Amino acid sequence: MDANAQTTAAIIEVRGLTKHFPIGAGLKLRQKAAVIRAVDGVDFAIHKGETLGLVGESGCGKSTVARTLMRLEEPTAGEARFHGEDIFSAGDARLKLIRRRIQMVFQDPYASLNPRMRVAQIIAEPWVIHPDALPRSEWAARIAELLQSVGLLPEHAQRYPHEFSGGQRQRIGIARALALNPEMLVCDEPVSALDVSVQAQVVNLLEKIQANSHVACLFIAHDLAVVRHLSHRIAVMYLGRIVEIGPVDRVYRAPRHPYTKALLSAQPRIDFAQNGSERILLKGEVPSPANPPSGCRFRTRCWKAQAICAEQTPPLVADRPQHQVACHFPE
Amino acid sequence: MPNADAPLLEVDDLRIEFRSGREIVRAVNGASFTVRRGETTAVLGESGSGKSVTAAAIMRLLASPPAHITGGRIRFNGADVLGAPMAQWRKRCGRDIGMVFQDALASLNPVFTVGWQIAEPFKAHGVLPAKAALERAVALLGRVGIPEPHARAHDYPHQFSGGMRQRVMIAMAIALDPSLLIADEPTTALDVTVQAQIMDLLLDLQRERHMAMVLITHDLGVVAEVADRVAVMYGGRVVESGLARDVLPRPAHPYTLALLESVPRSDIEQQQLNPIVGSPPNMATLPSGCAFHPRCRRATSECRAARPPTVKVAPGHHAECFYAQQVFDGR
Ligand SMILES: Nc1ncnc2c1ncn2[C@@H]1O[C@H](COP(=O)(O)OP(=O)(O)O)[C@@H](O)[C@H]1O
Ligand SMILES: Nc1ncnc2c1ncn2[C@@H]1O[C@H](COP(=O)(O)OP(=O)(O)O)[C@@H](O)[C@H]1O
Ligand SMILES: [Mg+2]
Ligand SMILES: [Mg+2]
Repeated sequence: MDANAQTTAAIIEVRGLTKHFPIGAGLKLRQKAAVIRAVDGVDFAIHKGETLGLVGESGCGKSTVARTLMRLEEPTAGEARFHGEDIFSAGDARLKLIRRRIQMVFQDPYASLNPRMRVAQIIAEPWVIHPDALPRSEWAARIAELLQSVGLLPEHAQRYPHEFSGGQRQRIGIARALALNPEMLVCDEPVSALDVSVQAQVVNLLEKIQANSHVACLFIAHDLAVVRHLSHRIAVMYLGRIVEIGPVDRVYRAPRHPYTKALLSAQPRIDFAQNGSERILLKGEVPSPANPPSGCRFRTRCWKAQAICAEQTPPLVADRPQHQVACHFPE
Repeated sequence: MPNADAPLLEVDDLRIEFRSGREIVRAVNGASFTVRRGETTAVLGESGSGKSVTAAAIMRLLASPPAHITGGRIRFNGADVLGAPMAQWRKRCGRDIGMVFQDALASLNPVFTVGWQIAEPFKAHGVLPAKAALERAVALLGRVGIPEPHARAHDYPHQFSGGMRQRVMIAMAIALDPSLLIADEPTTALDVTVQAQIMDLLLDLQRERHMAMVLITHDLGVVAEVADRVAVMYGGRVVESGLARDVLPRPAHPYTLALLESVPRSDIEQQQLNPIVGSPPNMATLPSGCAFHPRCRRATSECRAARPPTVKVAPGHHAECFYAQQVFDGR
């Protein structure tokens, strides 16, 4: 996909998003309370109808970004302006209105649906929370329409989640997320838990929804090929920070941050033409987010690291249009 | 002396059921494949297709009940595996076959140090006295890339990260220089950059020790990158097999072809993914005839009525489908 959505105004603008989780508090009273720096100063924007892919390895903070945006988790610092209004400082009434316009699709299609509710009740739940959204007389028709739009049948409305396969449950979760015609979807690894042969069904469904509803999307995944397929732009996270962000084709074809390069090269791929790049094997492991390296967090594993990398945190800078990288020695 | 050209491992028409109450789960339904000395054979299949149960049968790790081997043969180095007295096989298998599982935490013993656990086979097989065994364990830890192996040998499994635990399990598996390593989804639970490190280590060890490897995976990319041969499993049968470099670019089974078309690829432009309809079969209620027929674009009444023959489409390349030749010819 190409980046053509940039010209319109951002519908969400995130600045300095930070989330620290306290750990082991109270054991040593005089010691400064230790924290896990799950997300540590993240900036990005998403425009109308645009999908931003968020990638990075487990523990780098992707879900925490999603959960703080939804206020399922309170941020430690930062702001997230949705049409100019800060989600993080919104009171209960305002938050309820914002939540109506941003919906979330979760990773685990087994855990995210209430097993005691019928599909019809699950999809109608948002209308119970927002009674003015849709008159009750129209629920049944709209449920049938939503089920069809996600590739299920109207008669599925009377069934329970356990009667469905993983892929079908994810469709139900997506139907629920669409019930309020949101302007933005936050999808946290929506296909990761599905069988390989079923993932493509859900990827195609999300693609169809993008095309038909022009919904904006924060799409989180660790499968780089899936993200590439569905995103206009992509942000790469490492240890709580975004290290590179840009149009998807440019980042995949010419990554500028060494970590992005290593991550892309590590993905096992079917490449009969053998035109893939050399594999970069990173040394060591991801450091603990409780005690991240000074300066650039990737420097302890980077083959380009110099003294400055330990001393100064490289900011995300755009020295090429729309393509930002946080590195002292970018490609 | 076994003939050097004879296959190292032959699995022939293997059938395994799990019986519980009134239900019979037919986990393996006549699976056949061979593994040659020094080669990597990938067993590719989605979850539930019978890969792990097949591996457990080779190691004779299946508890009966509930598992019942109802047919077929397994030969290792020309000798019958399933009919051998258990004590004799355990001894043989412990030396000649190493196994690496997906979940290292579940397969390492939490109450012993990793050094003790790696040293154990040397002691058990009477190869070395305790002190020398521990020294060998330390050397092995170093070989598989554990930093400071002397110190780490005294740590317990939970003190290692996921990737490091996988290395510990690999050290254990190769300790007695087996001629076959069975690796059951050894990198599935790991992040891509760690996955690349572990695959690199496995391939390195394989070359260095001339080990054959059975690599169980659901990842087509992994197969494309590392396998010499591939056996594609569906519904407890091997539906296609051959050299990976023959099978993947030009599959002859509709399932293999559909799988290749359904995953996002980096080597070809795909406008849309081409998903496989439906979901993988329930092994307690397998479809009649060809188990793939409910999801197959080509299926005819023939496919519902009878199990298709194994068709040889090229030397060493077989597929179990009435239309294998047509699929192979791209018709
Ligand atoms: N509720 C929590 N309490 C403490 N630590 C947490 C909590 N949630 C997440 N973390 C930690 O924050 C970091 C980022 O987690 P997460 O956002 O889930 O990463 P990702 O989704 O990229 O895998 C990890 O180190 C994780 O262990
Ligand atoms: N102990 C067990 N009891 C009953 N069914 C089992 C047991 N182990 C595996 N199965 C079933 O056997 C089938 C094959 O499983 P498995 O070999 O683990 O699949 P995979 O290809 O994912 O490794 C599945 O349907 C699984 O549910
Ligand atoms: Mg997550
Ligand atoms: Mg398995």
